[in-house]
Parts: sequence; C-alpha cells; structure tokens
Amino acid sequence: MIVFDQVSFWYKDKSETSFELKEVSFSLNKGRINGIVGGNGSGKSTVAKLIAGLIPANAGNLDVEGQNPYQQLHQSGFLAGLIFQNPENQIVGTTVEEDLAFGLENLGLSHEVMHHRIVSTAERFGLTSLLRQPVTSLSGGQKQLLCIASVMVMEPAWVIFDEPTSHLDPWARLDFWKIIDEFVHHHGLGVVIISQLAEDLTRFENILGFKAGKLIFNGVRDEFKMADNDVHEHFNFPESWKFESLMLAEHP
Amino acid sequence: MQISYKPGSGLLHRLNPLTKGTVAFAAIIFFSVNNLSGAVIATIIAGFLLICKLSGVALLDVIMSIRRIGLLLVIVALIQGFSVDGFNPMLAVEAVLRIVGVFLVAGVYLTISSQSELTCFWEACFRPLALIGFPAREFALIMVIAVRFFPVILGEIERIRMAQIARGARLNGGGLLSSATALMPLMIPTLTQAVIRAGELAQAMEARGYRVSAQRTRYQRFRFGFIDLIAASVPLLIFYYLLRPFMSE
Amino acid sequence: MASHVTELKLNNIKVKYGSATLLDNLCGNFTRGQLNLIVGRAGSGKSTLLRTIAGFHKEFSGSIMADDKAFDPSGNISLVFQNPEALFFNGSVGEEVGYALKMRGVLPDEIECTSKKWLQQWGLDPECCWHRHPLELSGGEKRRLALAACTVFLPPVVLLDEPLAGLDVKGQHALADMLKAMATDHIVIVVTHEPEALMTDSSSLLYLRSGCGLWFTPETFLYQALSESDFFPLPHWYSSAVTPFREKPALPRLEAGAVHKFIQEWRRADADKL
Ligand SMILES: Nc1ncnc2c1ncn2[C@@H]1O[C@H](COP(=O)(O)OP(=O)(O)OP(=O)(O)O)[C@@H](O)[C@H]1O
Ligand SMILES: Nc1ncnc2c1ncn2[C@@H]1O[C@H](COP(=O)(O)OP(=O)(O)OP(=O)(O)O)[C@@H](O)[C@H]1O
Ligand SMILES: [Mg+2]
Ligand SMILES: [Mg+2]
Repeated sequence: MIVFDQVSFWYKDKSETSFELKEVSFSLNKGRINGIVGGNGSGKSTVAKLIAGLIPANAGNLDVEGQNPYQQLHQSGFLAGLIFQNPENQIVGTTVEEDLAFGLENLGLSHEVMHHRIVSTAERFGLTSLLRQPVTSLSGGQKQLLCIASVMVMEPAWVIFDEPTSHLDPWARLDFWKIIDEFVHHHGLGVVIISQLAEDLTRFENILGFKAGKLIFNGVRDEFKMADNDVHEHFNFPESWKFESLMLAEHP
Repeated sequence: MQISYKPGSGLLHRLNPLTKGTVAFAAIIFFSVNNLSGAVIATIIAGFLLICKLSGVALLDVIMSIRRIGLLLVIVALIQGFSVDGFNPMLAVEAVLRIVGVFLVAGVYLTISSQSELTCFWEACFRPLALIGFPAREFALIMVIAVRFFPVILGEIERIRMAQIARGARLNGGGLLSSATALMPLMIPTLTQAVIRAGELAQAMEARGYRVSAQRTRYQRFRFGFIDLIAASVPLLIFYYLLRPFMSE
Repeated sequence: MASHVTELKLNNIKVKYGSATLLDNLCGNFTRGQLNLIVGRAGSGKSTLLRTIAGFHKEFSGSIMADDKAFDPSGNISLVFQNPEALFFNGSVGEEVGYALKMRGVLPDEIECTSKKWLQQWGLDPECCWHRHPLELSGGEKRRLALAACTVFLPPVVLLDEPLAGLDVKGQHALADMLKAMATDHIVIVVTHEPEALMTDSSSLLYLRSGCGLWFTPETFLYQALSESDFFPLPHWYSSAVTPFREKPALPRLEAGAVHKFIQEWRRADADKL
C-alpha cells in the first residue's frame, strides 16, 4: 500500500511562480491498476519520484508498504521500481543483456538465478533477439521496452511507470497491457501508471487526476467516467467512452 | 558516430577485463612518455591497428572521432614544432603521433569493454586502497560514470552541430578554427548539461537499487585464459622499457 | 529566403547500418498542403529515414530530389528528434528558442519578443520558464520547447519524430492545428504511432514494413487495417463498430461522433433497402 498524507514538495526554492506539489493525500492498493493523469507540468513525474524515494518530501508523510521510501532507498535497498519518462538516460549497461543484469547484480543474486530471470523476461518482452546488441543501436521504442524490462526483471513489489507507452508501437502497447494485466491480477504486483494516452484511461481501475500540483480527482474508473465537466475539461477522455455513451443514448 | 562499446568475439574482446585495463593503461603511459623516434612510434601504431583489425575491432568510429581532436593536434604540433632553431616538422609529427597513439588506445579500449568489464577493472584497481580506508567502490562508480561520459562529451560537438542543422542552420564549411570559435560560447552550457545528465544517470542507477556501500554480485563471469598470459607480457615489456634508464646505472 | 520546395521525391532509397540493410527500394513523394505521415513497428526504420532525409545518416544509396534538383538538407530542414533533449545545447529556455532567430541575424529585441510569443503559443509560460535550464523542465514541457525551438523559424522541409509523445490533450490539439497551418507552405513529414490523431489533415501515409515502404491514403490504410488482422492494430471499439460496414466508401475518422454518424447512416440506408 502507498499512502500520501498531506505531502508537499517543491524543487530548490519556493516562489510564487515555481511549481509546488500542494498537500497531496491519497492511498493506493495492490491488486488493481492505478493510473495517474494530468496535464504537462502538473506534477505526475514528481509524485513518481517521491514514491520511488529518489527525492524527500518537504512536508507531510508518505509510506510505501509501511516504510519511508527515501530512507529505505538509502539504507537498505529499494521498495518501488521506477521507469523514468525519458528512455534515453536511464540505460546503464552497454548491451541489452548487461542492462537487464544491472538491477539483479544490485540485488545480490546468483548467476543462475540472474540468467534464468533475464532469459524469461527478455522472452516476455520480445527482446530475446536483441540481447547481445549494444544499447546505442536500439530504436526509440526498443529502448523504452528495455527500460520497462530492466525494472520488471527485478520483480519489485511496486513498479511506477512514467509514460511507459509513449514511444511504444501499437502492437507493443497491446502486449504491454497484457503483461500488466497478468502481473497485477495474478502475481500481486502493485503498479502505478502515468499516461497521456486517452485510450490508456480505459485500462485504469483507479485514477488520480492532477492539475498544477493539486490532486483534483481521486476515485475509481466509473466515478471518473461519470464525473462532471469541470473534472473532464482538464483530462483526456477516451473516444471509446464517448462512443459508448452515444450508443447508449440511442438505445437506452 | 560515437565511441561506444561494440560487442565482438575477437581476440581482444575475449581478454580478461583486468588484462585489458592493464594493457590499455600501460600503453597509454607508454605513448605519452616515450622518447622514440617518429618512425618507431608510427610502426608501433600500425602494428597496434593491425592487431585490432585482425581481431575484428570496429575501428572506423575510433578513427573518425580523431577528427574531433583535430584542433588540439594542430595546436600541439605548433607548440612542439617550434624550438630555438626554428620550426622542426619532425618534432611536430612525433608529438602528434604520441597523442594519436594515446587516443587510439583509449578509443579501442572503450570499444571493446562493456560496462561490467570497466566496473570490474576499476573496482580491482581501487580494492587494495580500500584496506587503508579509501572509498574504493565510490571511486569505481565515479570512474565508470566518467568513462561513460567521456565519449559523450567528445561527441558533444557533433551533437551540437546536428542540433544546429536540425534548426535549419546552414553550415558554411568554414575552417576548423572558425567552427571552433563559433562553438566556444556553447562550451559552458554543454558542460552544465553533461553534469545534469550524469546526475540523472546516477539517479537512474539508484532507482534500480544501486547503493555504493552494498555488496553486489556479478552476472558476467570472466575467465583468465592463455591469451591473457601473452597479453600480460605487453605491460611487463613496457615497464621494462620505462625503467631501463634507471636499471642500467 | 531559401528556395521553395513543393515536392520531395525519394528514388530507390536503400538505407543500411553497416552490413545490415534496413530499408530497400523506397520510392515515393512527400508533398505540400497536407501532412505526410510515417508509421511502422518499432525498429522499422522511421527515425532512420528522417535522419537520412536530414542528411545525418550517410549510409544510403539512391537519391532524394527536391523538385527535380538534388536535395541539400543543410539549411533546408528543421528536425524535431524523437528524444527532445538531444536538441538542447543552450543554458536557458530563452536562448534555446531564440537560437534559430539569432543564427539568422535577427535583432536581439525582436528575438526576445518573437520567442516569448512563440513559447506562449506552444503553451509554455515565458514569464516563469525564460531563465530556467531546459533540462529542468518536465517531460511534456521539454517536448513543447523542442517543438517551439524548431518551428520558430521554418525552412522548407519540416521533419517531426513522434511529436505527440508526452504531450497532454491540449498540447496535442495545439500541435495538430500548428502542423496543419505549417503544411500549407512547407513540406511536413511526421513519424507517429498515433496516426489517427493526425489523419484528418493528411492524404498520404507511408507504412514501413519489413524493409519496404507501402504508400496509403488514410482511407485505404483504415480499410487495410480493418480487413487484415495484424496489419495495424486499430482501437478495439473502432474496429468492432466499423468492421460490418468496412466495404462502404468513406470510412470515418477514429472519432466517436464521426463513427456514430457513419454507422447510423449506413444502418438507415441498409434498412431502407430492405
Ligand atoms: N529538476 C527540476 N528542477 C526544477 N523544477 C523542476 C524539475 N523537474 C520538474 N520541475 C518542474 O516541476 C513541475 C512538475 O514537473 P513534473 O515533471 O512532475 O510534471 P509532469 O506532470 O510529469 O508533466 P509531463 O506530463 O510534462 O511529464 C514542472 O513545472 C517542471 O517544470
Ligand atoms: N547506430 C546504429 N547501429 C546499428 N543499428 C542501428 C543503429 N541505430 C538504429 N539501428 C537499428 O535500426 C533499426 C531502426 O531504427 P530506428 O530508430 O530507425 O527505428 P524506428 O522505426 O524509429 O523505431 P521506433 O518507433 O522504436 O522509434 C533498429 O532495428 C535498430 O536496431
Ligand atoms: Mg512527467
Ligand atoms: Mg524512432
């Protein structure tokens, strides 16, 4: 479980115009797909980094599985894996295989376990043929897939995805959602997914909506669907829902 | 066109990372301090390139990136070439060859070493120092990030040129010097950017559970083979050569 | 200013990386007045094709012609990279946007004025981000800055690599409008995984598939995607709603209202026939 209690955060110095995450409170549970939506610069990635423990909150309490993620990360290893928004600058290894191994080495696993996990993860994400390739020769979508795989291979309790589908092709997007569905509903993985794609909203089971550092929506999918216009004007609304409601209006 | 790790299965690729690192460092020291004549250095460089070629190292990128230090080479040639009795082209050529040698060795080393091989080597280098309380793993990490960013920074001029063209700039050939002066004002922002990017990379490593103090395991297993024995003679020879003046006395 | 190009022709382009051939035998035209879209799976060579046109990727054979003359990319292109960060080399947002103007000798006052207007246009508040470092912006703000920096001055050919990635709804609508306006007197080529968002303003779509380029109009592309599974996954709601009517002319856009109207009309027409 992830709990934010009146969490505030600002980068460097606080001023009138600068960004500030303002007293955000929510809680997220495993077992369903948690989504975060909001406009550019509304603070989604900031929340992701707070959950992963990369930055400390300036005020308020947050805990992930009962621990403070920032202290946890610096004392005894990590709680929540984070896939950053920009696929370019989070690849550590020089080949695909090495990058997949990096996180596992940090967990202190034996060679056999690592090998087994790398092979099965690569297969799941369709990276098997790329294992030996240098990372500099991957395409944008392949890099993004590698970033996702490199965190998933570590089998963390929680994974925070920051716009994981932005550079994936439509085929890979379908595969991605299949994998997420399987992991969340059958393997007990906790996920938080940030997305700008309207259609991804239909996959979320629980939605947090941010606007300029404030949490302005927190509820399940159906509540989001039914919410009134002053919520919707700030967010995407999938065409499929619009179509559904048009068809419903026709045959009530 | 950037120097970066290119996997391969040639002789040089298969060397143990410790041998690779030691040979590379010995060779770099050798090229920077020897006092051999131009012809001998050129022969050694040619021999080195031949070995690389035979073991399938992707030399093209390394050689292409020498162009980036063209300006530096010109300056060194001018400074070294002028002596009390006028300009001596031989001195200039020798100075340039030494730098090219250092650069080639470093470039080839980075082309045939993967991240884990570099880490392995650096950790081994600093490990003895850990006994006297030196933060060995921290330094290994810093070295790895620095080594990773070395080609990035070298490639930065290329990237800026691309970014300029990408915004509709027309690059009017211009000499080496004129393009260098045009790039000067951008050097500071570029360095800032490299620092920010190195910070981001460190954050990404942290996010995957990398902690400097923690014990890690290693995925790759490195063997010490017969070719390592042969390669190990290179640094020995070099040290013998360097120490020779002291020994004869 | 630079000569106007009305058409960019690819003749028998073959693109390679070392010994591996990525694209082969690619022919076709990119034209003005509409958006030229490029789609395809990850690794099919979309970004590489853009880099080839821009003159950054040199390992290719065949020719690129601009109105019967060989195309010289230097000075004639503007390219927004897939990764917007690759484009930044100045110390502040203001300098970054102003760069293209400064390079062309525009006066400093004018640069500042135009750049601020342009930032505003792309949804970045010039007051609060003018002095900030480009790398400290959020993901979508970086994308907006990259778009602003590349379009503040427009050469004849504009290349965009996945410009929609990371933009929010408002940004995507703004982008679609801007591209449409640009396309009237520039050649605009857009690589995207969401062709549906830009199809209304487009009449040519290049689909890169296993090394070949296939040309479609949005209409034929949608038709093909509906009839051949695994050709291109359209959203499920669209394909299930439209498939029964896929033989009818004028397939609707991927938009709820349009699809609804389309279905209603054909249902009515079919009912009348019976
Ligand atoms: N390192 C930083 N230093 C200073 N300000 C920052 C930094 N990173 C982000 N910001 C600012 O904080 C605000 C929120 O950024 P954040 O990255 O959380 O947005 P976001 O919701 O993820 O947006 P996007 O959809 O564009 O990715 C933005 O206005 C951004 O400019
Ligand atoms: N520098 C390189 N050296 C060798 N191969 C490369 C290099 N860069 C890219 N490739 C290969 O070329 C192929 C095409 O890459 P490209 O970036 O053009 O794909 P793309 O169509 O843009 O994909 P995406 O949608 O994922 O961005 C990929 O399979 C990639 O592995
Ligand atoms: Mg973000
Ligand atoms: Mg691409």
